[in-house]
Amino acid sequence: MIDVIRRKNLTYGQFIIFATLLFALCFFGIPVVWLISAAFRSEVSLYSAKAFDWPDLVSFAESWVTLTTYNDFQILLWAKNTLIYCAGGVILSLIACIPAGYALALSEFPGRRLILIATLIAMITPSTALVLPIFLELNLLGLTNSYSGMVLASGFFPFGVYLTYIFFSSSLPKGVLDSAVIDGCSRFQVFTRIALPLAKPIISLVAFFSFLAIWANYFLAFVLLSDPTLYNLPVGLTDLVSSSGALSNLAGNDIPIRKPEVILAAMLIIVPVLIVFLAAQRFVKSGMLAGAEKG
Amino acid sequence: MGAAVELHGIKKSFGSVNVIDGVDLAVEQGEFVVFVGPSGSGKSTLLRVIAGLESTTSGDIIIDDHNVTYAEPSDRGIAMVFQSYALYPHMNVFENIAFNLRLAKTPKSEVDRLVLDAARILKLEALLDRSPAQLSGGQRQRVAIGRAIVRQPKVFLFDEPLSNLDAGMRVEMRLEIERLHRELGAAMVYVTHDQVEAMTLADRIVALDDGHIQQIGSPLELYKNPSNLFVAGFIGSPKMNLVTGKVGQVASENSVELDGKAQVKISASVSGQASGDVVTVGIRPEAVKIVQAGQADAIQAEIEAIERLGNVTYVYADAGMSQLVTIQVDAEFSHNIGDKLAIAFAPEQLHLFDKDGQVITP
Repeated sequence: MIDVIRRKNLTYGQFIIFATLLFALCFFGIPVVWLISAAFRSEVSLYSAKAFDWPDLVSFAESWVTLTTYNDFQILLWAKNTLIYCAGGVILSLIACIPAGYALALSEFPGRRLILIATLIAMITPSTALVLPIFLELNLLGLTNSYSGMVLASGFFPFGVYLTYIFFSSSLPKGVLDSAVIDGCSRFQVFTRIALPLAKPIISLVAFFSFLAIWANYFLAFVLLSDPTLYNLPVGLTDLVSSSGALSNLAGNDIPIRKPEVILAAMLIIVPVLIVFLAAQRFVKSGMLAGAEKG
Repeated sequence: MGAAVELHGIKKSFGSVNVIDGVDLAVEQGEFVVFVGPSGSGKSTLLRVIAGLESTTSGDIIIDDHNVTYAEPSDRGIAMVFQSYALYPHMNVFENIAFNLRLAKTPKSEVDRLVLDAARILKLEALLDRSPAQLSGGQRQRVAIGRAIVRQPKVFLFDEPLSNLDAGMRVEMRLEIERLHRELGAAMVYVTHDQVEAMTLADRIVALDDGHIQQIGSPLELYKNPSNLFVAGFIGSPKMNLVTGKVGQVASENSVELDGKAQVKISASVSGQASGDVVTVGIRPEAVKIVQAGQADAIQAEIEAIERLGNVTYVYADAGMSQLVTIQVDAEFSHNIGDKLAIAFAPEQLHLFDKDGQVITP
C-alpha cells in the first residue's frame, strides 16, 4: 500500500497571510472605491443615501461641468500647468540622472565618491527640507512664480541618479562596453549607442518615479508659486477647497463648488497616476528586476 | 616586416600592486601565442594592455611596426574576443558583426560583403536575423569571432573565449579557432588557464606567474624541459610529481636522497650542487614505472586512490614522501586500494630543480 501525500489545502500560516492581505485590501481599498463612487453622486445623495449608492451619470456630468467651468476654467489651467511641470521636470531629471548615474557607475574621476555620497544624502533628506533653500536660490535668480523655475526645481531628482548608478554598475556587462571601445566607439558613443539602448528599463523607471514625485508635489509648488494661474493641481485643489468653503457647510454659501466637485477634483489627481502606472508597469517591473539577472 | 606584436618592458600596476612586472615578448607574424598561468598571474591584464583597454604603467607596445602604447584600442589594428562573448544584446547578429564597420563609415555594399563573408566562414548565414538571446553559447562565440574577423585585424586577441562553453562545444570551437588561424594567417594571442587549449593551439606558450614570464617555448618544449618549478608544476595534467630531496653520492653514481629516505639515481652530474644541497626532483606520472619488488632502485608504495578514465588509469600511491606519487598506468591495471607496489623513477626522465626552483641542467 502506497501512501499518497497531498498538499494541505490551507495551512495555518497561509490563512494568516490571506487574512492580513484581506484586511489590508479592505482598509486601503474601501476609501478608494468610495471616492470613485462618490464622484458619481450628487450632494444630496452623499448626505441622504447609503454609503455606497449606485453611480449616477447625470450627477457626474453636472459636477464635471461645474468644476471645469468654475472661475474661467481654472482647474483645467491647473491641470495644464501640472502637465507642463511634469513633462519638463521628467525630461530634465532624465537628462541629468541617466548620464550622471552612468558616469558614477563606470568612470573613475576625482570626487566621484564625494558626489556619490552627496547624492545619497540628498536622496535621504526629506524633500520638504530642501524646499526653502531651493526657494532662496530661485528667488535670487528671479525664477520664482515662473514655469521655468518650477520645472528646474522639479528636475532635481537624486533618487534617479542613484537608481541609474545601481543599474549601470550591476546590470551592464563590462565586456560589452570594452567590446564597443575595441570596435571604435568614443566614450560618448559607448554611452549613446550601447548603454542608452540597453538602459530602457531604468529610463522608464526613473521617468515613472520622477513623474510621481512631481505630479503630487504640493509643498514645492506652494512655496514657489503665489500666482493662482501658475498653480499645479495639488495647490490648486487646496485653494479651491479653502476658498469655496465646500467642506465647511456655511449658511448662505452660494459658490457652486460642493463636495462632489471637490471629490471629482481629487479624482483628477489620482486617475492620471493610475493610468501612468498601468502603462509603465511592464517597464517598471523589468527595471526593478534588471539588476537581479546576470548580464 | 617586423614582429606582429612587440612588448618592451611592459609594467602595469594598480595602486601599489604590480600586476605585470616587466614583460618583454615578440609575437611573430602569423604566430599563435598562448598565455597560460593561474588566476592572478596577470595574463588577462597583459592582453588588455595589448588591446589598449588598460594603460601601461611603463614600457612600449609595438604592433605591426607602429608604437601604439598610447593609441586608442580601435586604432591598434587588433580585434578582441571576450570570455563573456560581449555581444550587443539590442542588435541582431548581422548588426553585431557590422557594428565596427558602421562606426568606421564603411560603404553599405562593403559592409554587406564583409559581414556575409564572415558569416560564411563561421557558418552563421542562417542566424543573421536572430538576436543574441536566441543563440546558444557556441553560436554566440562564433558571432563574437565574426565581429573580430570583419575588422581584418593584424592581431586577434582572445581572452579565455571557450571558458563559458560546455566540454563538447569547447572541443568544436577549439578546432574552429585552429582552422581560422590557418585560413586567416593572422597573429593570434590567446589567454587561457586550460592546458589542453594551450597545448593544442599554441605555436608558442608563454607561461606567466606573478606578472613575470616564467618560460616561453613550444608546447612540447615546456612539457619536456620546464625551466623552473612553476612551469613543471603548471604544465601537464595530472601534475608532475615534485619531491624534495638532498644531493648525495652512492658509489660512483650521482644520486638524490628523497624526503622519504629513498635513493634515486640520476643520469647526469648535478652541476654546481654540493653533496647535501636541497633540490626538488620532478617526474611525470607516465615516467614512474611499476617494477618487481626487491629490484635495486625500487621504492615501496601503497595505493591510496585509483582513477580509471577508460583509456588510462591514474594511481595515487603513498611512498612515504610529503605528497602522494601519481602514476600513469594501463587502463587494465588490476590492483586495488591498499595494495603494495614497488615503483621506480627512470633516471633519464627526472627533472632536477635547485633550492630557488630553477632547473639544474646536466
